[in-house]
Amino acid sequence: MLSIYKKELQSFFFTPFAYAITALFMFLFTYIFNVAIGDLTQSTLSFSFTEIFYDVTFYFIFLVPIMTMRTFADERKFGTEILLMTSPVSVLQIVLGKFLANITVFLFMLAGSALFPIVTAIHGEVIVGQLICAYIGFFLWGAMFIALGMLISSFTENSIIAAIVGEIVMFAFMFIDDFSQTGFISQFPLLQDILYAFAAQPKFSYFSQGFIRLSDIVFFISAIIVFLAWNYIVIEKRRWNRG
Amino acid sequence: MVTIEKLTKFYGSNRAVNNISFTINDNEVLGFLGPNGAGKSTTMNMIAGYLPMSAGAVTINGIDISKEPVKAKKNIGYLPEIPPVYPDMRVREYLSFCAGLKRVPIAQRSKEVHRVEELLRITDVRSKLIKNLSKGYKQRVGFAQALLGDPKFLILDEPTVGLDPNQVLEVRQIITDLKKDHSVIFSSHILSEVSAVCDRVVIINKGDIKAIDTIENLERSFDGSIILHIKIKGDRTGANSIIGLTDGVKEISSIEAEGSDFYSFTVAVEGDADAVRSTLMAELLKNNIQIVEIFSEKPDLESVFVKLINQTSKKSTAEDLLAELTENSGEPAPELPENAPETTDDAPPEGDSDGGKESAE
Repeated sequence: MLSIYKKELQSFFFTPFAYAITALFMFLFTYIFNVAIGDLTQSTLSFSFTEIFYDVTFYFIFLVPIMTMRTFADERKFGTEILLMTSPVSVLQIVLGKFLANITVFLFMLAGSALFPIVTAIHGEVIVGQLICAYIGFFLWGAMFIALGMLISSFTENSIIAAIVGEIVMFAFMFIDDFSQTGFISQFPLLQDILYAFAAQPKFSYFSQGFIRLSDIVFFISAIIVFLAWNYIVIEKRRWNRG
Repeated sequence: MVTIEKLTKFYGSNRAVNNISFTINDNEVLGFLGPNGAGKSTTMNMIAGYLPMSAGAVTINGIDISKEPVKAKKNIGYLPEIPPVYPDMRVREYLSFCAGLKRVPIAQRSKEVHRVEELLRITDVRSKLIKNLSKGYKQRVGFAQALLGDPKFLILDEPTVGLDPNQVLEVRQIITDLKKDHSVIFSSHILSEVSAVCDRVVIINKGDIKAIDTIENLERSFDGSIILHIKIKGDRTGANSIIGLTDGVKEISSIEAEGSDFYSFTVAVEGDADAVRSTLMAELLKNNIQIVEIFSEKPDLESVFVKLINQTSKKSTAEDLLAELTENSGEPAPELPENAPETTDDAPPEGDSDGGKESAE
């Protein structure tokens, strides 16, 4: 598992990939940060990192599929899947190794974003507790979307298709929340409850407001487990179906 | 020792590999021959544990690959048809990654990578990106990967494809050297290669085993006629009648004029070729016909191969029909796998002599 993790990291960090995607992420964060500062008025000299994070998530769903699109699609395209599958490692180790590598790149991006609270702290005051909560929430939220992106990458051998489909699915996933609030869905309270239960955004917003709720943590972690397990099944199943 | 028992693979309803059984002994190079689409790669993928089998078992040094895959795979080095390399990695990075995958301890990893680099002569490209390498080098990097961790059982799917003649010889030499303490299964459709490297061969076609034997035995069992080439100077008609009347000459298949006064006879000979040749020479000389050249053409693996592939199809269809009949009449299914390998094992030598006679008549 460790060697797969290491190899994946190499493919991110020995190429411009990790740096390019982090730069893009920083660019988005800077943009939103500047908008927040621009909105400051004389009466309220405060802005909320919570809101910044909430806005960042919207752009972030376009970055995650780019990060995860190659995970399994490229292994199939280059025929290297066969190397992994005939080596003394289990499929579970392959999936976990790749997941951890993606998470590491994500942490690298998060580390970059820490620049903004630090600069703010130097020139003003930051509510640390809330910020840490927001980071925990953002991390869990991102990890879930990474697991989802990896799953979609395992469906195809074309990484561009994986990225596009990933973006559509993540977009849909993000707007379940708004969708469940529409007038039409409100006519069916049961359906609304079910849809709302799957919505990740409200759970994330609790974190960003400074609440750590066990139910939200359980939601994110179980979603990660479901996506990774599904990923495992897809890979195993394809070996059996290959024709 | 590697045992393959009643291995079967279905792709949907299409049977790609049908009930094949053979063993690969220690310190042996087994050739795996068959035309394109015969099921070679499928079989190798199953032996390597990449594809699950529909039925049957593969046992590597006593470990069943479908029951303890991780343990079994530690003993396997596999070079698939397309070398499984990452284009964006450098050769040394790639090999050290593979060494890690194969559980080579960290302390020995760089030494092990050096060893395989030396062996396949890729030391000078070790810092290059794999995508910039030529096909032959990629192939060698893939081969190097299979040797990492010194697995005792090597599966090589067409290892010499894309190499230049010099490299082909090198790779053959490597395989011959590996034989000392490895078992190797090695697929190819280049027959000269197989006869140069392998001890025994398995010939398959359309998923069925056509023959398992040593090369010598296969060549011997092929009892079609031997061809003599005789080149004479001068009297063409005289030579023709002498050759035609000699005992043991089956037929004169062609006469070609070469230059002004030279004629080449291609003669099919039955029985003891050497005896026939001496009689022929004596008779011709007695009649003052100058012999410029005489040589016999031995049946090689090539003709054995072509014959086995073509001839057995008739037989196997009959068998298939029988099998289908029993299947349809509601016979217990397990009967089939038990009968089939016996017939396929015995069939080739018999089929051979039958086929030979048929073509002789």
